[in-house]
Amino acid sequence: MRDFIDPKVVSRLANLALDARHPMAGSVAGRHRSPTRGSSLEFAEYRKYVPGDDTRRLDWRAWGRSDRYYIKEFEADTNLRMCLIVDVSGSMKYGLNATTEAGKTRLDYARRIAGTLAYLASGQGDAVGLYCAGENFEKEVKPKRSAAHLKLILDELAGMEAKGLSGLPVALHEAAERIAQRALIVIISDLFMDPEVLKGCFQHLRFRRHDVAVFHLLDPTEIEFKFDRPTRFLDLEGEPAMLIDPVSIARQYRQAVQDYLSQIKSVMQESGIDYHRVNLEENYAEVLVRFLLSRKSVHG
Amino acid sequence: MTFLQPFLLFALPLIALPIVIHLINQQRYRTIPWAATMFLLQAKRMARGMARLKYILILLARMLAIAGLIFALSRPMSTGWSFFGGGSQPETTIVILDRSASMEQQSSPGSPSKRATALQKLADLVNTTGRNTELILIDSATGVPTKLSSAENLIELPQTEATSTTSDIPALVESAVEYINVNQLGRTDVWICSDLRTSDWSPQSGRWEAIRTQLTDRQGVRFYLLTYPTISNDNLAVSVSKVERSLTGTTSELRLDLEITRSTASDEAKTVPVNLVINGARSTIDVELTGIRTLVAGQSIPIDRESTRGWGYIELPRDQNVNDNVAHFVYSEPAARKTTIVSESGEFASLVELAMETPAQRGVSYTVDRLTPDQAAAIDFGASACLVWQAPLPTGQTAKQIESFIESGRAVFFFPPDTPDESSLLGFTWDDWVEADRDKPLSIARWRTDSDLFSNTQSNSPLPLGEIVSYRYCPSSAPSSITLAHLDGNIPLVSRIPTDRGAAYLCTTLPRLADSTLARNGIVFYIMMHRALDQGAASLQAARSLICGTISEEQTANWKPVDDYARDVLLSERPYETGLYQSGDRFVAMVRPIREDDVSIVAKETLDESLAGLDFTLIDDQAGSQFALASEVWRVFLIVMVVALLVECILCIPEKAQSSGLQFPQVRSPERPAA
Repeated sequence: MRDFIDPKVVSRLANLALDARHPMAGSVAGRHRSPTRGSSLEFAEYRKYVPGDDTRRLDWRAWGRSDRYYIKEFEADTNLRMCLIVDVSGSMKYGLNATTEAGKTRLDYARRIAGTLAYLASGQGDAVGLYCAGENFEKEVKPKRSAAHLKLILDELAGMEAKGLSGLPVALHEAAERIAQRALIVIISDLFMDPEVLKGCFQHLRFRRHDVAVFHLLDPTEIEFKFDRPTRFLDLEGEPAMLIDPVSIARQYRQAVQDYLSQIKSVMQESGIDYHRVNLEENYAEVLVRFLLSRKSVHG
Repeated sequence: MTFLQPFLLFALPLIALPIVIHLINQQRYRTIPWAATMFLLQAKRMARGMARLKYILILLARMLAIAGLIFALSRPMSTGWSFFGGGSQPETTIVILDRSASMEQQSSPGSPSKRATALQKLADLVNTTGRNTELILIDSATGVPTKLSSAENLIELPQTEATSTTSDIPALVESAVEYINVNQLGRTDVWICSDLRTSDWSPQSGRWEAIRTQLTDRQGVRFYLLTYPTISNDNLAVSVSKVERSLTGTTSELRLDLEITRSTASDEAKTVPVNLVINGARSTIDVELTGIRTLVAGQSIPIDRESTRGWGYIELPRDQNVNDNVAHFVYSEPAARKTTIVSESGEFASLVELAMETPAQRGVSYTVDRLTPDQAAAIDFGASACLVWQAPLPTGQTAKQIESFIESGRAVFFFPPDTPDESSLLGFTWDDWVEADRDKPLSIARWRTDSDLFSNTQSNSPLPLGEIVSYRYCPSSAPSSITLAHLDGNIPLVSRIPTDRGAAYLCTTLPRLADSTLARNGIVFYIMMHRALDQGAASLQAARSLICGTISEEQTANWKPVDDYARDVLLSERPYETGLYQSGDRFVAMVRPIREDDVSIVAKETLDESLAGLDFTLIDDQAGSQFALASEVWRVFLIVMVVALLVECILCIPEKAQSSGLQFPQVRSPERPAA
């Protein structure tokens, strides 16, 4: 067990299954719906017999009542491909407040969420992949179902380092192209970029029929901007430093944040994204519980 | 503006404290790593204009608050104009006070007059500012600079009291300039308190040019004109222009020509009760006023047939100026106008004789005695009112007799002899004749219009001296003489030698056709000679009217007051106040100069021309006004400080926290689409 995976949290979440919101095209049987008919116990529909159909699937009782041949079809259950896309740009290194739940930085928090989700998915027999989005795809671990693969994923998560400019939009478009089969794509990022750019990325992913969930990690200090002394802001992604009297621009800053959040919310709703805005001071277990329950309720 | 605690102004650099603190704060920044730079950039872009302006306003408000506090503690004095504008206090303050009768005008009965208002304000100014300056008073009555020990002297001294004189402002300014030059004064403020009457200021006088010339290159002399040009609406002034005693059958009566002047023109007729007091007997007549001047000619008042001399006065009801409500007069048998001519030129003697024998007043005897210089011993000094001397200056007994003649109050007119010699009299001698270019004769360049032989007429019209030319002149060496008329090139034409009593005039040319056009253009010559004759005759008359301000205090020492007005007058103020007196067996009436009834005011443009090139400030005030020349204004600066602090507080109020969008709302997941 890694230090970013809390056994207590894992045991607490063990009873909550990770469900997909859309039918998944898995390679083996699993607990998720498949877009095709299969051999599960869940009845799907009747259809007329056509030559070549397997006679074992004829509903003889229906023939007895109607003297017609009907094939009885059942839902297919398959496994899930979960692709974790973690933003590792410089801005993920931010962690001003020592009380941040994840311990230190935004990336630590992302690591905990990603690791726990990978552990849960692997436990229920789903394939788990990992993509690190730096300026480009920094790492790509394709989804697999083995325990050894989970170890590899966790190793990669442990070794992640936040640096450089954000290349999340490029990475998301790349992921949409590379991940051929339907998958649950979990994006963990601060999303500090133009919402309109993100909108294109999400629509691309949705076009490829992926189930997309986003954990938007925000620190309260970035939102509230409660500074009272002249401050030199050192950009984590290499932009020139700025010496600013925060009091003089606080109102405009908050207005800019408000506009940004409204646009993000709008983009997420329009793109059908499972969006979760996360306060870094919040317990990540609570965030995951809320995430899993929300998907559970939808699944029914 | 001046300050009572000026050393506190050294703290003014503290105004920069907010800027210094701002700069220090800028240097005491902290550095933090930051991810949400995109919001910072947006906020900076949005706040580029307003936030900077707001910050500058906050800094300015803080600086203003500190400045307000420092200025308030320094106890600033406000003057309403740039008094003490240069920041340096004057070493000397000269107050030129117009004590003329018109300065006694009040805004309303019982309120302070223009003069009293000006004095009070100047005293308050000096007291309030507490400045260490030497205070010099030059009043219009005496014209003598008087050093004052304190500002209270301005109110307490008799030299600042009201008079019935007129003012000669150019002469007073000349006196101030002379005082400044003689004493080599440094920074000097000259305050002129006046009501800007044209008759007082003589704006066309050439003396203003002389004043400007003297002060052009002089630094540190600043004029403040504390003026009271407002004329009250319904003030009346009375004067007596003629008193004549006449016998009609068995009765005797006085015929008076009196003039009542309204301060403002009005078509509305108004009836005024006028009190007439003759030898103590009072009567009242109603006079209907129309227009600005009403002349009551030949007002007849019966008197005793035996009353050959006497006194009286005319009173108007009390109004805004009590000083012009009374006109005193005396009457007597007119003195004979006898002129003695001593001349070596027959032509000259004939011209003078013609002028002196032509009567100027009805019922008065005009006679002339013609003598040659050899007959000088036969001069009738006792009966002559005027002696005209055109011969080498006398010496010995004759010279002494002429000096006694002048001392007795009579007039002597000296004309140059045909052949001047080195003899002298009264401190002057005749030099040799100087011939002017016949084609370019010398004309009269300027003359004194305010007093003496060439003063303006009663209607304030100047005499036509400009038409006179001189073809030759005989300069005189009379160092202390007062020149009454100048020829071109600043050559004296007519001068007066100062004497205690009487009059001694010098004319540097002759009225003969070969010498000048004095006789050809005879009006000026006639008036000149008769004014000298009248002066001499006045000393022979049993009753005499003197214009206030034209005699000295010594001459009034033995006078006895006759009426109540005279009894209230201090001995030292007798030459300047109206009243009736008895001097020996003669009555004397001190009368107000008729020019004082002229209400015309000097226009600002004219004033600017007269004072062009001088550093002066015009302050228009009103009689009885409460406006202070200087007052402490620290409250204003305190209010400025409070307002600045309030503005700073308002600008520093934190922005209202915006809750919407700044929380972490849980966005509801979209509905799961149908499989």
